[in-house]
Amino acid sequence: MNEVAEPGNAGSQTDNIFEREALADEPTIADAIRAVIFDRLSTKIAAVLVVVFIITAVFAPTLAPYDPLSQSILNINKHPSWEHWLGTDQFGRDVMSRMIYGSRNSLIFGLLSPIFAAILGVTLGVTAGYFGGIVDRLISRVVDMLMAFPELLLAILIAAALGGSFWNIVVVLTIAFTPGFARVARASTLAVKQEPYVEAAIAAGVSTPVIIIRHIIPNILAPIVVLMTLWAASSIRVEATLSFLGIGTQPPNPSWGNIIRDGLANMFATQWPILAGGLTITVVVLAISILGDSVRDALDPETNQ
Amino acid sequence: MSKPLLEIRDLNVSFGTKDKPLCVVNDVSFSINPGEAIGVVGESGSGKSMTALSILQLVPTPPARVTGQVYFDGKDLLQLSNSELTSIRGKEIGFIFQEPMSSLNPVMTIGDQIDEAIMLHTDLSADARRVKVLELLRLVGMPDPETRIDVYPDQFSGGMRQRVVIAIAMACNPKLLIADEPTTALDVTIQAQVLDMMLDIRKQYNSAIMLITHDLGVVAEFCERVIVMYAGHILEDADINSLFASPKHPYTQGLLKSVLTLTEKQHRLYQIQGSVPPPGTIKEGCPFRPRCPVRMDRCAVEMPPMKSYGPTHVAACWATAEGVE
Amino acid sequence: MSVLIEAKNLGKTFVDNSIRLGPKRAEVRAVDNVSFQIMKGETLAVVGESGCGKSTLGRLLLRLIEATEGHVSMDGKDLTNLSRQEMRQMRKNMQMVFQDPFGSLSPRRTVAQIISEPMDSFGMIRDKSHRRERVAELLELVGLPAIYMDRKPRQFSGGQRQRIGIARAISVHPSFIVADEPVSALDVSIQAQIINLMQDLQESEGFSILFISHDLAVVRHVADRVAVMYLGRIVEIGPKDQIYAAPHHPYTEALLSAAPHPDPTKEIERIVLQGDVPSPTDIPSGCAFRMRCPIAKDICSSDNPKSVEIMPGHQVACHFAAPHPITNAQRPT
Repeated sequence: MNEVAEPGNAGSQTDNIFEREALADEPTIADAIRAVIFDRLSTKIAAVLVVVFIITAVFAPTLAPYDPLSQSILNINKHPSWEHWLGTDQFGRDVMSRMIYGSRNSLIFGLLSPIFAAILGVTLGVTAGYFGGIVDRLISRVVDMLMAFPELLLAILIAAALGGSFWNIVVVLTIAFTPGFARVARASTLAVKQEPYVEAAIAAGVSTPVIIIRHIIPNILAPIVVLMTLWAASSIRVEATLSFLGIGTQPPNPSWGNIIRDGLANMFATQWPILAGGLTITVVVLAISILGDSVRDALDPETNQ
Repeated sequence: MSKPLLEIRDLNVSFGTKDKPLCVVNDVSFSINPGEAIGVVGESGSGKSMTALSILQLVPTPPARVTGQVYFDGKDLLQLSNSELTSIRGKEIGFIFQEPMSSLNPVMTIGDQIDEAIMLHTDLSADARRVKVLELLRLVGMPDPETRIDVYPDQFSGGMRQRVVIAIAMACNPKLLIADEPTTALDVTIQAQVLDMMLDIRKQYNSAIMLITHDLGVVAEFCERVIVMYAGHILEDADINSLFASPKHPYTQGLLKSVLTLTEKQHRLYQIQGSVPPPGTIKEGCPFRPRCPVRMDRCAVEMPPMKSYGPTHVAACWATAEGVE
Repeated sequence: MSVLIEAKNLGKTFVDNSIRLGPKRAEVRAVDNVSFQIMKGETLAVVGESGCGKSTLGRLLLRLIEATEGHVSMDGKDLTNLSRQEMRQMRKNMQMVFQDPFGSLSPRRTVAQIISEPMDSFGMIRDKSHRRERVAELLELVGLPAIYMDRKPRQFSGGQRQRIGIARAISVHPSFIVADEPVSALDVSIQAQIINLMQDLQESEGFSILFISHDLAVVRHVADRVAVMYLGRIVEIGPKDQIYAAPHHPYTEALLSAAPHPDPTKEIERIVLQGDVPSPTDIPSGCAFRMRCPIAKDICSSDNPKSVEIMPGHQVACHFAAPHPITNAQRPT
């Protein structure tokens, strides 16, 4: 029972009414995400896979049975065995260890590029959306131009021009992903700017930078977070593609993409590197996409009941 | 004494789970006589709209649970199947919603929308129906109905749309018209037009009207009887003069005292303390108790029964029953 | 009494600047050549129906919207030409209370953060404990228990949120507050609480209010003077008692008679205006009200009536301004 003893004076009466009205907190975003994850089997499986992926990448040196770079003339093109679970490649390197170390590459790209792109895109999008006018038109046209390029093509173009170093690829993917974030951020900013609480802040005398940081950005983050998860998957895929094409991570450093590339050249000796690389990329990208979809559902008030 | 047109007995509407029900309508009972204009007054969360919607089974079940009886012409509407109800909805009972902007289909002309209501419930020919549509448009005061009949709703203002909605509701000359805040979304001069028009319609058709509103002024001008609802309960049910002259429930008294008028000038407004409790927070006793100036120990335990104060006046309050002022 | 706010020939035309194909969008004349003064400690109410420009007018005074013509001054200082930074400093003296108690409080911030925001902006907070102290004081002042300062707005009812909004507005001791329909979203029993609160605060703090409302009954209780707006123009302005007792503009009279009266024993002769308010994109020539006016003559379509002072402080813009009971009003067919 939440009944309170009948109060004697007016002051405490207000308090008691107030107590009765105070409702429990609505579920937070974290609660909503948790609810969706534990609601669906597919999401549960995806979540487990993503966690396994992250653990593998973080603890690669501990988990990998061999040095991914050490070659062995004696163990070329071995099929799977107890010593080498996924066999060895044409240089006698352990494919399992290379896959495990390759996951680090994928994780770093999967995290870094979307984060950088989100920071850049949100800055551009919020600026365009909040200030409008000529600033908006300038930014929007540039974003439209970038958007017209297929992201993969753009990535190949820049990587081919600048070469395939680690940071180049990060830069390439960041540039490729920024327009998407900018667009979403701009659209959300336009919507949030119409909220009465933003006008209230202006009327209260709050300065523009503070309004943007306090009132605009926190309220546009939900779609940005969703976009980040979806593009984490995308960026793993693109990194693998670039490496496969030879303009991504350079050998001998392992990456899922160049494991497939090396495997392809050696396809008739052993198929295991291709199979391992291809399947892993598929599974990880799928898992992150499913998770991203669920996060979107959790954050979207329309589907969330 | 004529037989009531609509009789609601022990209507309960609740949401939530079996263990933790959220009751939004509690043991509501009242009746409407043929041709009577009855006002249902209450603040947000009083359950007034929910009561009206459940009469025609318009409350989605689940999630809601609706129990009780709603007798209309001797039939319990709550027991009817959906197909049986369609012959009553729109034909015997017309419904006017609050939002004139969203209760019309934007891709149908207003003529077609009124025609649809007639077509569903009569066997008239297309020509006869068109004549009827024009007649209805004239009835609701639509200027130049011959051209307006083929116009889409987005070319109308809120007031004109509400006239169309009323024309649809009146299409089959219903015995009962339920109007849920029909003028709340309208400007005051437009509200005056619509209310005037509805009064004219009442005189012509002699339909009973159940007018749901938060505005005591509208009730005073339009209705013969008032039901005051609060947090899902009926607190008072009285004929209009008796209610405004001597309200029996402290909530009604407070409402009438705090209502702002154009003529009387008060230095400081009377105010009811606190605010309306969210549904489900008050489970026992009188729902108005926390804000009531004359509450007693008994109010926390037991919901007061309806007590009669004259032939057409009942109220549910322990304090009033015992003569406490 | 001295003048606090003065608006001179204030006007606002909204133009749709977005690039689009097809015919150019019409210009919307939201506020048209409006002049008035607000005295220190006074409440001026602006009444009118939706689309009459009353909300735009309130925002023009605070420069939340830039005027297309005319000037606003406060304490003799012209606000129209102030830079962004200077204007922001002026906002310490002029605050706003909003209509929507749900939207106007940021859902992610606590009550303490919301209320202290204006004080933070003007460097009026020394440290954390000082902030909590001030917020607690303000909450008590608007009738809310201070212990709830760490809650989020969604845990409060509409009336309580409006109290929070009022606490935010008075936190910097402004001399002028624009209240845009502050009670129209609230239940009847809550309206009285908020009106009483605002009046109490005005008495103790001494600020002036521009009270925007469509509800003549509410205005009757809060205003010292009343301005009636129709299609962007002030058609009548004057002391409250004069406006209510002897309205001189037919629109004012119609508005007054249209409001439903919560007394069933009174039969009032109601003037039912014909037709709808014309669209502000297409304002009639001459007097904007002539299309619905029961006493319109030829001159009304050719000449826009000038505002004439019929009694000290009581101005009417009508060719036939008189305390006329317009009884022979036609009813809509």
